[in-house]
Amino acid sequence: MNFVIEHSYLIPLLPLLGALAAGLLGAKVLKHNSHWPIWIGVGASALMAIVLLVGMLTEHHEPGRMMYFMSHWFDWIVAGDEKTGIFNAAAGAFIDPLTAVMLAVVCGIGFLITVFSKGYMHGESGYFRFFAYLGLFISAMTILVMGDNLIMLYLGWEGVGLCSYLLIGYYYEKPAAREAAKKAFIVNRIGDFGFALGILLTFYCFGTVSFFGTGPGSNTGFLEKALHGIANPGTEVYVFWIPFCLMLGAFGKSAQFPLSVWLPDAMEGPTPVSALIHAATMVTAGVYMIVRLGTLFVGNSNAMITIAVIGAFTAIWAATIALRQSDLKKVFAYSTVSQLGFMFVGVAVLAPVAAVFHLITHAFFKALLFLSSGVVMHATGGELDMCKMSGLKRRLPKTRILMLIGCLALSGFPLLSGFWSKDEIVHAAGGKSLVLGAVMLFTSLLTAYYTFRLYFRVFEGPEKIPGGDHHHGLSQGDSESHGPAAQAHHNPEPLSMMLPLAILAIGAVFAGVINLPFAAGVREHALGHFLQQSPSFAMAARVATAKYGTLTDTDKLGLGQEPTSHVVEVAPLVIGGGAALIGIALAFVLHLQNRAKADELAGRFGSVTRVLDAKYWVDEIYQALIVEPARALGRLFWWFDRVIVGGASFMIGVIPQIGGAALKFSTQRGYLQGYAVSMLACLVLILLWMFM
Amino acid sequence: MPDVFTNIALQHYLIVGALMFAIGMIGFMCRRNLIVMFLCSELMLQGVAINFIAFGAFWGKLSGQAFVIFILAIAAAEAALALAIIVLLFRQKHTVDSQAFRELRG
Repeated sequence: MNFVIEHSYLIPLLPLLGALAAGLLGAKVLKHNSHWPIWIGVGASALMAIVLLVGMLTEHHEPGRMMYFMSHWFDWIVAGDEKTGIFNAAAGAFIDPLTAVMLAVVCGIGFLITVFSKGYMHGESGYFRFFAYLGLFISAMTILVMGDNLIMLYLGWEGVGLCSYLLIGYYYEKPAAREAAKKAFIVNRIGDFGFALGILLTFYCFGTVSFFGTGPGSNTGFLEKALHGIANPGTEVYVFWIPFCLMLGAFGKSAQFPLSVWLPDAMEGPTPVSALIHAATMVTAGVYMIVRLGTLFVGNSNAMITIAVIGAFTAIWAATIALRQSDLKKVFAYSTVSQLGFMFVGVAVLAPVAAVFHLITHAFFKALLFLSSGVVMHATGGELDMCKMSGLKRRLPKTRILMLIGCLALSGFPLLSGFWSKDEIVHAAGGKSLVLGAVMLFTSLLTAYYTFRLYFRVFEGPEKIPGGDHHHGLSQGDSESHGPAAQAHHNPEPLSMMLPLAILAIGAVFAGVINLPFAAGVREHALGHFLQQSPSFAMAARVATAKYGTLTDTDKLGLGQEPTSHVVEVAPLVIGGGAALIGIALAFVLHLQNRAKADELAGRFGSVTRVLDAKYWVDEIYQALIVEPARALGRLFWWFDRVIVGGASFMIGVIPQIGGAALKFSTQRGYLQGYAVSMLACLVLILLWMFM
Repeated sequence: MPDVFTNIALQHYLIVGALMFAIGMIGFMCRRNLIVMFLCSELMLQGVAINFIAFGAFWGKLSGQAFVIFILAIAAAEAALALAIIVLLFRQKHTVDSQAFRELRG
């Protein structure tokens, strides 16, 4: 572990080198071996991340002591002087339990997905490009979770945004993919504007962008200054607004309402990308950011309420849209938006541990679900419409089992990973406000229903396999087809694709054991206990105690402290599990036993169906309220440029023209290089004259 | 980090800047492909920008960096214009050889 901490810069550097190798040598030298540099780079990082996690888990821990390691890589941006305040953003890592957990998720699941991608992307043109972007993404994501100041976080944040853009637009010959990539990038710009504003405000108020400065306890980082209320004189009023600015960034990246519109469209990217970036890792960056900066957020009850309301609304809003989607990946995309809403609610109700817990379990089962739908796509020739397929269980027996595990975990089926993590959030939400708890519980029911609607439609019932030619990203027979790949598709479930899925499935089933809701004493090794040693959590807990008085047992579970009660609360578990079972049962009746009944119901509630099918017209509202006014403004500027500016410059142009005509025939010869040489010669003459 | 990455003195930056500028200048005068000539002019700009940054960091002043931000912004605008011009030129003659456009002397 000491090696990993000493050489922590290797974790982002190795995937970056892999990406460079794949990107520069991929086209001409490596070709279909382009996955190797990424496998090696990401694999080594994953190994280091796991060594780090295991090392920190086994480290001896004294109660009340914070566990962290700081690793300074090099001085990056240093500016200013004593008078104006020194801006110092060093490149360095702050490694605490939260970072260790996030690194293990990012690198571990990232590695599994790169392994899967080899089989999935086989024969695509631009194979090397895909892997180079993937390596770059992992590198940026590790910087995001390791950075010890806001600027590093922002670097990683923009890096993953860039990779997301590049990978969504991977099939750039397809117009929809190009549009989706631009949409993701532009919507994220709105969020990142808020984030940048938050960073500026933080520096303005606290005079530093470093989380912990020279270490917790030194009072040099802004989190501690926020904890002790030390802001620059005259700036106290702005401290209130910092969480709101940062929140906007988190909502953009994590696709919360109303900045959620990009995520469903992002499904135009290859499926491994959807699994890695748009389900497991990048979209959880917003949750990570708020948890990391919890000290700033927890004391600001207005900010916490805003997060809770937006999170809960997004959760139920996206879940209702998912009820009527027929595209497999779109269902999972809306489900991701909804589950991210759960995580934000977790953060907002003082349960960051539950949020991180759900982040981990969600990473496993959602990656599993996306990759499984990738296998389905592979087998059906790029078809994703669940109305056109049915009963695939005979064609894809292994995938069916894996998908079933993923669906059970997502819907919160008792004892699987999603059950434990989702229940903890619902429980904590209910502890703060019964309405919030009820909304989250109802969303769990909807989650179970739409998940199993998909499962029963696709894998059970009478067999119906769509034919079609073999390409996945380009479903409607676009220009890109891969001849050699068609033969490789004979076995729809090759080992290289099944093995990563099996590992993810094991995670989806058992990841819950890392944080079982046992009473005091038994949680010695649980996730909450581990995260409690993170300075971010410890400080947030101190702010919460100071602000809200003594913490209740649910708060303590959430903030990672030892609960005092020795009784496991069974009721929330039973209610949560019950909601999942009801949802599954509903889906079973409507989408397996009696599919005609489902259509009849949809017809009877025609207006509701129409609203859901139109996704609440959010895209149309955006078009009318933002895109069209912006376009009108653009036309106005265009007119101004053409008539006013253009007219003026035309007039300016006419006068020298007359003078120019005189010189025209004497010096103008038309040789560009000749002009350059005469310019250089004159410059040399002037310099000589000046210095002689 | 090993020492060699961290102890970089002013003159190293200046050498890199001067090299970039010289390479750009020579390229601009020797090559006739408009796109390559444009790239060379970018190279010269960035060579200058490195000098600004290096001196800014050396004196601990922000003005050098501020200047570079202007250079970057102007270079970006210039790139948009120059590439658009090259595209238009190419449409005319299906070549980007600078000699082919001698009649532009007017």
